Amino acid sequence: MENKAPTVSNVFTAGLWRENPILRLLLGMCPTLAVTTAVKPALTMGLSVIFVLLCSNIVVSLMRKLLKPHLRILMFTLAIATFVTIADLFLKAFQPEMSAVLGPYVPLIIVNCIIICRAEACASKNGLFVSVIDAIGMGIGFTVVLCILGGIRELLATGMIFDIPVMWKGFMPLSAMRMPVGAFITLGLILGLVNMLTAKKS
Amino acid sequence: MLKMIGHYIKESWLLVVSAFVFGLLIAVTNAAWQPKIIQNKITKLDSLMNVLIADAKFELILSDVPVETGRGKIAKSNIYKATASDGNCVGFCFGAEGSGFADKIELVVAVDAEFKTIMGYSVLSSNETPGFGDRITQDYFRNQFIGAPAAILNLTKKGDDKKIDDEIVAISGATVSSTAVVDIFNNYLKQIREKLAGEGKLADGK
Repeated sequence: MENKAPTVSNVFTAGLWRENPILRLLLGMCPTLAVTTAVKPALTMGLSVIFVLLCSNIVVSLMRKLLKPHLRILMFTLAIATFVTIADLFLKAFQPEMSAVLGPYVPLIIVNCIIICRAEACASKNGLFVSVIDAIGMGIGFTVVLCILGGIRELLATGMIFDIPVMWKGFMPLSAMRMPVGAFITLGLILGLVNMLTAKKS
Repeated sequence: MLKMIGHYIKESWLLVVSAFVFGLLIAVTNAAWQPKIIQNKITKLDSLMNVLIADAKFELILSDVPVETGRGKIAKSNIYKATASDGNCVGFCFGAEGSGFADKIELVVAVDAEFKTIMGYSVLSSNETPGFGDRITQDYFRNQFIGAPAAILNLTKKGDDKKIDDEIVAISGATVSSTAVVDIFNNYLKQIREKLAGEGKLADGK
């Protein structure tokens, strides 16, 4: 798709559904499974990834004509690491609680394949505008799926959404949903559902 | 030779320049936000200590005290002195850590001015199993420590958790986490007391 002249809506919707990083490409599984115990950490993680993705796509796109093939991955990592450090410092300074909850998973964005994948597949081959749209589309696609997972798990594990009780009286919280097993089961079911929907369409 | 240097510079100038620019960017950001980050840590510690010893002012008296946490590991602890509004010492707080079920458990422990009675603990950070081990953060377990003697504590599986003594009743289903907390107490109380006594900062409340 990137080789032909991509249209804006085409690039944007790719990240949301057709090439959704989690549902279709299965990238970035580590934060997907680890930080989706509730909506709030999932949302914070999603926004951090959008920030890093956007900045790294801009930088890579701007220097794409100067990149040497053998130094390209090194340059991507350097840019990504810089913006992740800034995001981490920002959370520590202004969202200390969320920073404590997310722990090592914010620094680990550096090795998140979504970002390096977009730098390689899109930003290093396309102009600034397309790269920005791609970053926003992919970032939102990632964040939305993270929030859906976080929402389902928080609801079943605690009966709350954003710490507000929403379930009926006498609801039995399933604490397994807060543990890794809950993440695997929820993600598996969602992936199955998505596969079912796309299989029907085609 | 010169040709080779020229080749290296041609190949790598972008990397070198970017490294400098990005490094500068991080340095500037860090300089701008570091004071706020340090302030956040102090605020969190202060609020935790205030829950343990109410209406007191905390002053760092000994920093980076080495404490052996078992298996030859050494951790560093900061000791704070709590002073009431009338100027009397009402107790001490110190950071303490040990291995839990999944990850390190970090606590803030409070003891009275004579180092005879535990005034309680708060969990600074832990990563124990939700629904089981993470109950070390809840009052029903924590309250067993408030008023307990600052000596060797024992963990039991069955007993009266309302009775305040040196017997701590374990959380059912979370023996490892309960043991970890009791071990942290046993490790730190002895070593911190020795340190404070050695520095002459104990008992008479001065």
